[in-house]
Amino acid sequence: MSFSATGLLLASLLYLMILFGVAWVTERGVFPQHWVRHPLVYTLSLGVYAGIWAVYAAVGIAAESGFGFLAYYLGISGAFLLAPVLLNPVMRIGRAYQLTSLADLFAYRYRSQWAGTLVTICSGAAILSLLSMQIQAVSTSASLLAPDTSRNLISVMFSITVVLFAMLFGTRRNQGSETHQGLVMAIAFDSVVKLTALVTLGGVILFSVFGGMSGLEVWLESQSSPASTMTMSIDDGSWRALMLMSFAGALVLPHMYHMTFSENPSPKALAKASWGLPLYLLLLGLPVPLILWGGQELAATTGPNFYAIGTAQALGSPALTLLMYIAGLSAASGLMIVSTLALAGMVLNHVVLPLRTPKDHSDIYHWLKWIKRLLIAVIIFAALLFHETIGTNLDLSILGIISLSGMLQLLPGALGVIYWPEGNRRGLIAGLVSGMAIWIVTLVLPFSHTANLLEWLGAPLVPDYSNWHIFTFISLTLNVSVFSLTSILSGSSAEETSAAQACSLGALSRPHRRELVATSSSDFVHQLADPLGYGVAKREVERALGQLKLPNMEYRPYQLRRLRDQVEINLSGLLGPAVARDLVKRHLGYKPMASSGTAQDIRYVERALGDYQNQLTGLAGELDNLRRHYRQTLQNLPIPACSVGEDGEILMWNHTMEQLTGITADDVVGARLMALPEHWHLLLDDFNCGEELHRYKHRMDLNGKPHWLNLHKAALSGPDHPEGGSIILVEDQTETRLLEDELMHSERLASVGRLAAGVAHEIGNPVTGISSLAQNLKLETDDPEILSTAEQIQQQTRRISTILQSLMNFARTGNHSQANRYEPVIIQRCVDESINLLSLSDRGLGITYINDCPDQLMVLGDEQRLVQVFVNLLANARDASPEGGTIRVSGNRDGYSAIIEVTDEGSGIPRDQLDHIFEPFYTTKAPNKGTGLGLSLVYSIVEEHYGNIHVDSPADPATGLGTCVQLKLPAYEPEPSNAAISQNERL
Amino acid sequence: MYIYRLVFLLVLAIYIFSPNILDWWTSPGNAWYTPYIIWAGLIAIGFWLEWRRDPNEF
Repeated sequence: MSFSATGLLLASLLYLMILFGVAWVTERGVFPQHWVRHPLVYTLSLGVYAGIWAVYAAVGIAAESGFGFLAYYLGISGAFLLAPVLLNPVMRIGRAYQLTSLADLFAYRYRSQWAGTLVTICSGAAILSLLSMQIQAVSTSASLLAPDTSRNLISVMFSITVVLFAMLFGTRRNQGSETHQGLVMAIAFDSVVKLTALVTLGGVILFSVFGGMSGLEVWLESQSSPASTMTMSIDDGSWRALMLMSFAGALVLPHMYHMTFSENPSPKALAKASWGLPLYLLLLGLPVPLILWGGQELAATTGPNFYAIGTAQALGSPALTLLMYIAGLSAASGLMIVSTLALAGMVLNHVVLPLRTPKDHSDIYHWLKWIKRLLIAVIIFAALLFHETIGTNLDLSILGIISLSGMLQLLPGALGVIYWPEGNRRGLIAGLVSGMAIWIVTLVLPFSHTANLLEWLGAPLVPDYSNWHIFTFISLTLNVSVFSLTSILSGSSAEETSAAQACSLGALSRPHRRELVATSSSDFVHQLADPLGYGVAKREVERALGQLKLPNMEYRPYQLRRLRDQVEINLSGLLGPAVARDLVKRHLGYKPMASSGTAQDIRYVERALGDYQNQLTGLAGELDNLRRHYRQTLQNLPIPACSVGEDGEILMWNHTMEQLTGITADDVVGARLMALPEHWHLLLDDFNCGEELHRYKHRMDLNGKPHWLNLHKAALSGPDHPEGGSIILVEDQTETRLLEDELMHSERLASVGRLAAGVAHEIGNPVTGISSLAQNLKLETDDPEILSTAEQIQQQTRRISTILQSLMNFARTGNHSQANRYEPVIIQRCVDESINLLSLSDRGLGITYINDCPDQLMVLGDEQRLVQVFVNLLANARDASPEGGTIRVSGNRDGYSAIIEVTDEGSGIPRDQLDHIFEPFYTTKAPNKGTGLGLSLVYSIVEEHYGNIHVDSPADPATGLGTCVQLKLPAYEPEPSNAAISQNERL
Repeated sequence: MYIYRLVFLLVLAIYIFSPNILDWWTSPGNAWYTPYIIWAGLIAIGFWLEWRRDPNEF
């Protein structure tokens, strides 16, 4: 049975068009996102692993070594079943640092551009033979179906189609999504086609050739040779080698790395694939023995490698034959597209960009896309060249072995990334170079019929098809030994150790806190504009700011360091880690270090620990709880506290500090003291830099009100903590200070009172004498002049007596022992009495007094003294009031206080006099009108009643007139519940 | 790291003895599909482990 060349070509093109269609439709968003990102699609896309080997070569190996072919599936199944310890860590690192290929991972972990470049060269060399294997399989299968077709033409046509597909769907880089969804969907479709074809063929063979399971059993029993029944003993060496290569494939094959990690939609999808891929491979491997036996039974004309097609031809079914051809085509195209794409990315990041960093490009994304497209074409045509010159003469399985054994050389370095932090770049490069040298000398050159050095040298063991595994193990052993020895003997750089810690399982990177040259995010743009161009630099910085949820303009050093890391991560996805790191290092540099050691970035570590919270168990979990406890203690400390690093960066800012300053921790932690508002910055910076450890009663005006602060400082350094920095406590002493002021005022009043009492007593006696003498004088003469003089003397002495009486009253107020005699006083009654007293001496000004106090408003006190208070206040109000004015006394309860306000409509008290009105002998009245003791007396009496007094002037801000005197006295509660309780008691 | 050493030793042991294990699976007395059944068993264990996995693990 044969097909026409044109028909076959059309069928091939039709299939590839369908593949294009699937990818195109996906990219257009026709399929819902939850389909495209479904773990099943992801798992099927991982079926890219099963290239031509799975469709054709597996049957060939089964014919030679029986179930030995399973090693190719079991190795990678093992790797996926171990995903939690093998693949998840790599995915975590790759996602965190945007590492899109194994070369990126190596360059990041080993901090060496050479490591990345070497991985790229090794992968490139090894992949060529794998690509050649795919081209060979497609062209051979096409020639089996249409013998008159030119194999070269098929190879070229196939290669061109693959190039086109990879260019169209593999190089689009959507800024929003890092994955190529069209590509993933197309590869998943490929996997479905492969599986359907193989399972269909297996089923057809089972039922139409052998007549079902029982027929197969009978047939197997009838076969005498173990080779026919696949029961021959496994060749240990080649089995182990193939299994190891397949195991390594999960990590080191470029197409597998790309599909597993770069196109991964979520960690959950990888978890599902950990059993999903082995299941897919099981289904793919199941028909292999059936196809082999079917080929043997039907005496297929092709070699065992192509039994899939030979058997279908022998069955006489053109549809099945075409389906098997399409299966091969889909397997080959899928693998070629993805591996070329992955390799092109590696070459771009690790060969092209280090040689020529793009400069002065208006659109770097566009430039990168076209370079990548060019590289895809170059790689595929290199593979085609390799195929035409060497590959075409080699067996499919040998091509696979050369490729996989080459890729195996990357396994030690890849495992070192996760499990061996001591491994370093020197060890890696030395190991890789030696392993690759052995691989080239003992496997590549002899099997490609180029040169067999060992044969020329007359070595006891010469590579051939039966002992290839020995040389695979020799190269790997040498690689591992050189890697470990060199790593142990040579030290790692600090940078490398830090990267190793970031990569190793469960480790936290512990970055150092250093100051960047750039002081704001706009500086970032200017500094990056040099290598990237202004537009790209601006877009990248804005993207990173958006990802970190930072404001458009950022100044805080801690956030700038995060921004720098994020920019590096994003550029790493674009240009590869080595170029990105170099670019960021060169253009977003740190300031030279002031001291030899730098402090750890405590906040960074804290944030990372916060992210790890769910994963910390056992001792680490307990320590984390302890850390949280102490942190909370500091945060909730009722004294404002902040800690400051050696370089003046704020590391902690607790809740009470937030309340005192009105500045939130989010705004200042990670910023310098300089970033604080000026008054805080001046105070804290000055205190932090100064020698003094305590500063008392520092006055600061906050919101227009004076505050008094006590500052205390302690150095953070100690035996367990060598880093500098200090902790600053800020005590708000404002209330204490106000109380002190009040106390001083009272003290002054008390001393004046004592003085007045003494003076009054001493003056009283002579004045009484003078008054008596004047009285006598009046009795002893009738001279009207003398009588008038005597009368005046008596008037003046009465006046002196009144003043003395006031002084005595004032002095007596200091006596708090009278408080015991306090009784409930109704304020309304007091006010009424005061109004009555004043009315007696009304000077005819027509003042109206209004008493608005509620009758239930009561305080505990001395009624007579409270009347004195109101008489004084009302008299002052009357004196200040204009003719016909109104004076209003109002009262209300405010919690446990009684608030009484005396408001007049007078001229008010000038602001500069307000501070003095309670001072004794301070008066603004005419000499004969007042003694200046009235308000002092009021103040003393109110204090005696445990109240306070407050004056507002002007009372009416609109007119600027009036004064309001507010008294606040402890209110008296008559306790009506007592009766109820006693009634209850009686019951 | 304790658990990883254990896993490493186990994987190494399985790897070293894998040819003997496969020989045992494919010995002439067994049905031809025996290796696939045991392989499917391994997948079932993998599925079960993934299913009961704590979402916070790794």
